[in-house]
Amino acid sequence: MASRGGGTPAASGASGPAELQLPQGPGGLSPPPPPPPRNYADHNAPRRRRNYPPHTAPRPLPARAHVSREAAGGARGAAVTGSNMADGRTRSRAALRRSGRHNAQAAAQTGLSVENQSKSVRSTLATQGLAVFPDLRNGTPRFMLKRVIQSQPPVSPLAPQISTHEDTQEVHSEVPSKRVSSMGELQLSDVAPEDRITVFHMTKKRKKLSISEFERAAEKRLSQYQAQSALDSTIMTRSLHMSVGSLLAPDTVEKRGLLRRPKIRRAVDLQEFEGRVEQNMLKNKGQNCLVDSPSASGIRTSILTSDAEMMMNSTELFVQPQLDEQSQNKSVLEPQLSNLKTSAERSLISDADQEEARLEGLVSGVSTNEKRYSKSSSLHHEHVDRMTHISPQTPAKQQKEKQDHSHQSNRMAQISFTEEEEVCTAEHGANAGYSEHLEKKLSEKAELQITAAEDKRGETEMAPSAGKELAEGSVGGQGSPRAEHVITRGIGAESLGRHSHAFSSFNKPEMTPVNETDEQEGEPQDQAIMLELNTSVEEPAEDEVEHPASQEVSMKTPAFVRVPASNLLLSTPRVTKPAAPSFPQRSPLQQLQPKVISKRLGTSQRKPREPQIPRSLIKEAFRHFAKMPVTTETYKIVEKCSERYFQQLSDDLEAYTHHAGRKTVEAADLEVLMRRQGLVTDRTPLTVLIERHFPLQYRKMLIPVAVSGNKVISSK
Amino acid sequence: MAAAGGEERQLLAQRLKAAVHYTVGCLCGEVEEEKDVQFSKQIIAAISDITFRHCEIFAKDLEMFARHAKRTTITTEDVKLLARRSNSLLKHITKMSEELASSNMEQKEKKKKKSSTAKAERTPGEQESAVTENEDSNMA
Repeated sequence: MASRGGGTPAASGASGPAELQLPQGPGGLSPPPPPPPRNYADHNAPRRRRNYPPHTAPRPLPARAHVSREAAGGARGAAVTGSNMADGRTRSRAALRRSGRHNAQAAAQTGLSVENQSKSVRSTLATQGLAVFPDLRNGTPRFMLKRVIQSQPPVSPLAPQISTHEDTQEVHSEVPSKRVSSMGELQLSDVAPEDRITVFHMTKKRKKLSISEFERAAEKRLSQYQAQSALDSTIMTRSLHMSVGSLLAPDTVEKRGLLRRPKIRRAVDLQEFEGRVEQNMLKNKGQNCLVDSPSASGIRTSILTSDAEMMMNSTELFVQPQLDEQSQNKSVLEPQLSNLKTSAERSLISDADQEEARLEGLVSGVSTNEKRYSKSSSLHHEHVDRMTHISPQTPAKQQKEKQDHSHQSNRMAQISFTEEEEVCTAEHGANAGYSEHLEKKLSEKAELQITAAEDKRGETEMAPSAGKELAEGSVGGQGSPRAEHVITRGIGAESLGRHSHAFSSFNKPEMTPVNETDEQEGEPQDQAIMLELNTSVEEPAEDEVEHPASQEVSMKTPAFVRVPASNLLLSTPRVTKPAAPSFPQRSPLQQLQPKVISKRLGTSQRKPREPQIPRSLIKEAFRHFAKMPVTTETYKIVEKCSERYFQQLSDDLEAYTHHAGRKTVEAADLEVLMRRQGLVTDRTPLTVLIERHFPLQYRKMLIPVAVSGNKVISSK
Repeated sequence: MAAAGGEERQLLAQRLKAAVHYTVGCLCGEVEEEKDVQFSKQIIAAISDITFRHCEIFAKDLEMFARHAKRTTITTEDVKLLARRSNSLLKHITKMSEELASSNMEQKEKKKKKSSTAKAERTPGEQESAVTENEDSNMA
């Protein structure tokens, strides 16, 4: 009875519930039978009845109890078999088995008084709507099988068979609902072995499902698919599966398990990307020196072309707007190409405008572009003449793109005027020339500009004298210490702008990364300018400002070669804190040094950047104490102020230490400082402040702490 | 007694304030003539008040500096430290102190030539320099 093809799972499934009841039988036997089998019946019945809708269970019972009693065994078995089994025979056999089990159970239970007990059981069961115990005459397996064999047509277990019509008829006629329910139950059990998952969910869902609906649906489906082949029944089961599956869908959606959540990627900021790309390009350029510069610039141009193109929407040869002074200057200044100062100054004057002009000039020929540009255009000429081997387009493009980028980044960031000037000076370089000379000039100019008032930028002095510039520089240098700091800052920034990013270390701490990128972008431009200027009139400017040695070098060697020399020069002033009397002497030196510094990465040593307070910290602290929204520009200013403040603090501390004739700063010096600040007074000595603000670990280091157990943790 | 002492001190303070006020007025008059600007009375009063209060701060700082250098006497070094913020003032004071020191040296040599003993030349010289230097408005 075990192997019956498709019948086995059903049989096993079908036998499941039946088998559940079976153990009861032998269990029921051991105790004395007098305890009415009713109990067992009751025990069994509820289990079965549980699965039955309440309305269906009692209804068919009284009318059909007796009717089904006789035919129950066979009919039920037949019906069950008809509904479930693929083979009529298997069905019948499964049904018989079930009924047989029931019969066995009944027989076992009603061992002593078969008739009575069976009858009573049967009657009770019948009243309850269940015909568990078959008739002895016809309900025993033997008789049932006999009947089935006689009635059922021979069916091959292999070939799919259509369920007999009469079975369905019987089913529908006698106990449609009950049968359906049983069939539904059987369906469920059928489903179970085929798909255990659904069974699980079915068991879960069973409570949610309204059995009546399910039965109705099953009944419907039964009527639809009853006459069909096993395939159809499987379809029905499949449909049931699907129905069950649909119910299950929401559950499965929730349970992701090992499924990954979709990654949310931050949109890449084009500006950022371009800036980074430029930085990389500059790095590479620095490493590749002159030889690769064209290629690098070419690459750079290729990379940045898109960006430049985006900027240069207008394809006019001559850009009219915003360039009024440039146009004027161009015409006027061109003849004054030889004057380095003018060119440098011109470059200083217009930043963004020049960028645009240059950008637009890029579209047309280089020569025309140069003409169109402002002062530095002349440098382009020279540069082009000089570096014929290098395609002028690429350097121009490159420079323009850089300018563009720097311009963009300038616009993006909120640059202080010093930064802008620096950037301008960096940007207004010529094409991809590499003239340190011009660079130095520009840096000097930038310094002067920085120290001087902001209106200087608007000036378009055609013939600035070197002396005047020097005077400016000296004035700026001799200004307040702040000016000197600014100068040094400008120097650092310019140097960064001029040279490759390797020299970012020279940058003053307050330079924002954007500025650095800007300056980096400006580096090749400056280099270009420098080289051009080298070829152009260099003497007048050189005599005034340049180191004699650097002048020669600039004339002969490219900028990057001069890096080591400049590095040595530059390192010294930044390290020492400027004392008041030494301002005037130091500023010119500091002015000179950053210009001498070349940009090339590979040749120069990377100076470590000065330690600065992290910007985020300043931001957070300021925001906390401001207690109101703060714009981003203010953060820059606050950063500068804090930088200045801490510089002054350290200066004072050094002075106090020197005053005491020592070389090492000690706590006493700090106390003097705090007293001057007003933090430490006669009422609040230092120890009180320590106790108030420091955590225990630090306090322990400064003040002896007494703990329990006669222990004193001293600071020494 | 304490009250009298306090009153006395107050009187002294008032006298000092008056002296400062007078000096400030004179200085402002000079600046007026130089720059051709007008100084109102309130301004002069405010400046004199600020100067007086700042002098108190100077005194405390000078004492602190002296103690920091493990000295009990305020010297020109302390004053220079006080004036280091303002470059011009610092230069001025430095120059004056150098002059005073040189003049003191000369006086000392003269005195040594005269071979007179127990003349603490330096302290009066220092005091003088301190006084003259303090007269200059000082930015702490």
